[in-house]
Amino acid sequence: MRSYFYESPDSFGKLFEILEDNSIEMKFLAGGSDFVPRLSLEREKIHKENQKDSMIINLSDLGLNYIVENDTEVIIGATTTFAEIEKNDIIKGEFPALIKAINEIAGFSVRNIATIGGNIMNASPAADSVPVLMVLEAEFVLRGPDGSRNIEAKEFFTGPGKTVAKENEVLTHIIIRKNKGKSAFNKLGRRKAETLSVVNAAAYVEKENNICKAVRVAIGSVAPTVLRCEEVEELLLGKELTEENIRVASEKVVDAISPIDDIRASAWYRKKVAPVIVRRAIEAAIVD
Amino acid sequence: MSEILSFYLNGNPVEVLVKPEQTLLELLRDELGLTSPKCGCNHGDCGACTVILDGKAVKSCLVLAPTVKGKKVVTADGLCSGEKLHPIQQAFLDYGAPQCGYCTPGMVMAATAFLLENPKPTKEEIKEALSGNLCRCAGYEKYTEAVLAVSKGEFGLLPEGSDFNV
Ligand code: FES
Ligand code: FES
Repeated sequence: MRSYFYESPDSFGKLFEILEDNSIEMKFLAGGSDFVPRLSLEREKIHKENQKDSMIINLSDLGLNYIVENDTEVIIGATTTFAEIEKNDIIKGEFPALIKAINEIAGFSVRNIATIGGNIMNASPAADSVPVLMVLEAEFVLRGPDGSRNIEAKEFFTGPGKTVAKENEVLTHIIIRKNKGKSAFNKLGRRKAETLSVVNAAAYVEKENNICKAVRVAIGSVAPTVLRCEEVEELLLGKELTEENIRVASEKVVDAISPIDDIRASAWYRKKVAPVIVRRAIEAAIVD
Repeated sequence: MSEILSFYLNGNPVEVLVKPEQTLLELLRDELGLTSPKCGCNHGDCGACTVILDGKAVKSCLVLAPTVKGKKVVTADGLCSGEKLHPIQQAFLDYGAPQCGYCTPGMVMAATAFLLENPKPTKEEIKEALSGNLCRCAGYEKYTEAVLAVSKGEFGLLPEGSDFNV
């Protein structure tokens, strides 16, 4: 049976020192709302032979819990909890769509510990915060022993549970540019509260005299990762934002997605509702 | 590898041996013998394990025990002062909200933490706040009404947040 170890480094120097040990499997812990039940499940199962020991590294003491702004950007530290983001005045003012998405994530006793960085690094195709971050063109900053690098949200995810981050890199913060358009989030779950998405979508629109000047659309839970739907965007850009144009553009999402059957819904159903959820997100983003 | 963990439990400093992989729920129930937080699912779905951690409601099966170092944990046991129940506890009792009672300690903690932040909620807000706490006896209506009554002051003043921040 594998043994577990626990460290809670308070500096990146110490963190990278711990990471140098190759004899042990490294696991990063942020809030724990996803990590801890997974760990409990692993402990309940019959143990595999010859598993490496596991080092649990708590990231909460690295000072990554903050929300700050300058003239052009808002920066959110990776271990900031959803509850903190949802109450923050800067976020309320700049990115109400993010608040809307967070409100739909589990209940308040989970949002009190769940972090935005954890939600991103889990790389779940159904993560509710990710479509919004994608249409806001957020950048994720990874820090490794050799320094930091910024990656655009849409380049970040490579598969379910997979990202471009290397094993010795941690997500330190998220940068979101302030912008003049409006964004919105729409989610379909199996019930109203406390549920994972069947399909979720976010939209960002800039308009002038009801003509679409810029548009970004992202959809979740219908492919191995959250997706930007360029097919929809191309069709809507430069057009008048009429009901019909939005509906026709939203239909295009079907070309971008590759949903699967899972416990929440069938692929067939997801294909049917994806255009509807996209349309509702766009419509919500254009109301004044 | 076990280590000594010190934190505050219901106002008292405690020191206990903790394993790196243990949850706060296991620590409370199995090591400290406090069985008011219940283990309904162990995966963050049911809310029966809800406790108040540094003033906020959390599901203790989702919290890794070593991370509560130096923090303040309150369970339903820590809410009453002597024989006198906390207004939420009294209201649940008077409204006959608990049936089998399995979800009750979690409901008590979620409702208490919620009222600390939102002392004058609407009925909808209360429902939303308790949405992470499942009751298999389906006593939702009575739990909601009881919390509403407490928020209207029918069960006396709520102890201030500072009472939990020992
Ligand atoms: S036991 Fe923790 S939520 Fe069910
Ligand atoms: S009273 Fe039985 S589970 Fe709620």
